[in-house]
Amino acid sequence: MRAYSAGDEENLRTLGLLNDWTSEGFLSDAQHLTMQQDVPCGLRRTNVFLRLVFFLFTLISAVAAVGLYFAVFRPGESQGAGVSLLIFAALSYWGAEAAVSQKRLYRHGVEEALAVLSVIFLCVGLELIFFARIYQSRAEFIVPGCGAVASLLIYRRFGYQYAFLAAMICVAFMPHYWTTSHTAQHLFIAGAYAAGLITVIRARRAHHFDFVDDEYSITEALLWLGIYAAINLQISSIEQLPKWWYSLPDPGEFSKSFYWTTYALIWCLPAGMLWRALRGRDRVVARVGVIVAILTLITNKPYLGWQRHPWDPMLLGIVLTGVAVAVKRWLGAGEDGIRRGFTARRFSAADKRFQNLLSVGALATSPGFAPATNSDPTFSGGDTGGGGASSSF
Amino acid sequence: MVTLDGWKERGVISPEQYAWLDGLTRREPFSVFFELNILLYAGVVAFVAGLAWTVQSYSRELGDVVVLAVLSGILAACLWYCFSRAQAWSAAESPAPSLVFDYVLYLGALSWSVELGYLESRFHLLPGQWDIYLLATACFFFVLAYRFDNRLVLSLALSALAGWFGIRIQYWPGSSEASYRELAILYSVVTGVAGIVLARCSIKAHFLQTYLNLAANVFFLAVLSGVFRREGYAVWFLFLLAACGASLAYGLRKKQFSFVVYAAVYGYAGVSSVLVRGINDSVGVLGYFVVTGIVMLVLLTKIARRSGRET
Repeated sequence: MRAYSAGDEENLRTLGLLNDWTSEGFLSDAQHLTMQQDVPCGLRRTNVFLRLVFFLFTLISAVAAVGLYFAVFRPGESQGAGVSLLIFAALSYWGAEAAVSQKRLYRHGVEEALAVLSVIFLCVGLELIFFARIYQSRAEFIVPGCGAVASLLIYRRFGYQYAFLAAMICVAFMPHYWTTSHTAQHLFIAGAYAAGLITVIRARRAHHFDFVDDEYSITEALLWLGIYAAINLQISSIEQLPKWWYSLPDPGEFSKSFYWTTYALIWCLPAGMLWRALRGRDRVVARVGVIVAILTLITNKPYLGWQRHPWDPMLLGIVLTGVAVAVKRWLGAGEDGIRRGFTARRFSAADKRFQNLLSVGALATSPGFAPATNSDPTFSGGDTGGGGASSSF
Repeated sequence: MVTLDGWKERGVISPEQYAWLDGLTRREPFSVFFELNILLYAGVVAFVAGLAWTVQSYSRELGDVVVLAVLSGILAACLWYCFSRAQAWSAAESPAPSLVFDYVLYLGALSWSVELGYLESRFHLLPGQWDIYLLATACFFFVLAYRFDNRLVLSLALSALAGWFGIRIQYWPGSSEASYRELAILYSVVTGVAGIVLARCSIKAHFLQTYLNLAANVFFLAVLSGVFRREGYAVWFLFLLAACGASLAYGLRKKQFSFVVYAAVYGYAGVSSVLVRGINDSVGVLGYFVVTGIVMLVLLTKIARRSGRET
């Protein structure tokens, strides 16, 4: 099923670890060089920047080629166009397979773009063949359904995590064709993700600290995040969004019992995630657990229909920093900064890269970057960040 | 990990290294460094957002003295914390004394931004001269960033400087779209040159990439906006080609592949916009993208192989 051998992928993981350890000073360059030679890998890889560019230009040329076909041959009616797209889907998939099997490309951008395009062409092709002239058919769920299955197959075959995410998104579209009940839609999506989560957790038991475990870790985190998003009505329900601005303690079209059950669950899920992540030392699930915990704090008031105050973000900030400082102090009090197997110290160069990324975020979100053209003294606005002095207060 | 055992037996790694690395592969100890950083960053940003919102909503009720006292108090506390705990200044990269250190300084810098906005909006100390505030803020942030080796505050300094350039343009005679373009190029040149000079002087040389990436993106975007014009784009087109060549050469020489990407993406966008505007039929345009897309793939593959970035 898998396009790459387990040995190659495990070796890639080992090479990554060696790079990381050398960056952190746990290995000397000479040791790194010697160890690297013992880890053969026949796959052709590239760095993240070139990977993105390869992806982009493959996408451009492939989409343009399909467009050119339509412009020259004009398949005309929707069914003809749909069939053509199905052929292009097959061709794209064949291209991805060939790039992997013949050129041994691995996360190279080219084969990824072709695999992604095969799913997109498949979905659009099916839509054109079967549903182009039918308005709102219940059977139209076949399109996202096939998209989900195809994305899952791509994920299984090539290991692209974003293909799994695409499958999850396709699943989220399916219940809209069956029912207008938002409750049923949320239940179906959460149920489907929960079934996936159980499957992944079971499959993970056979793997410990290997590349498959790493991969399942991301998959599991995505599923937890999906369940949370489906359950937190303040995030996933369009009907509930106005409550972010107006205090309406009203569950709307949702039954009260459903509404308050989801409220209880948005508190239980982050706790469950963090418990499982810390117990199993799962880095990715822990990170997503922190993020959903913050989301729960943010959506608490809209859920309860309580009035929002300008100082709410301050309180949230105090809670978040307070928790971080308390945890750091607790860990720091342990021998060599380690307590119960946990530490606040950095062991991975990836964490340093993340810190650098935060500074890019600080730059990108800074209002000082935009030329300020208004020095209106009416004290409106109040942006923060950056040389926020350019904000109009 | 089977290979670790083998390396230990062959004496490639010491028993102590083996014990440590073997623990790391089993995530023992488990580092929560990343999670704590997320909490601290989100906490500081949320706090300052709430602070600004509260000041904006309740300034009249609270009064100027209370508002300024609180904001000044936060700034002073943050600066006191940083100055009292920082190690002696070093021109080389120096690690933060603690996990929270960088975020305390970031909080202080953001609080200063809020206070400055409040001061000007209430007291009009320098009416109509926001540029002076921004320049002073940028200088203040640069000093803090270099004193405490803080990239977050460096980003704020660079953005404040960009804001200063943005405001200064209003004083230029007949400011227009072209003026903004020239200003953006000037800004990118100034930041790029400053970054290079400081790195040459070995003053926080690790900041260089922050300067260069920012300068390159601003420069390319400014030049591209000129290339996209209907008339008088030839000069900008030549500028773009020169910039792409320089970016590509720098990226390959220094193994900084983000610059190869800038050259490829910005260059392709600019060249395509010039060539495609002369083609009127869709077949020609689509054919252009098919051919050039493939050509770019081939060129980039050759570049990747030559530079050894494809393994």
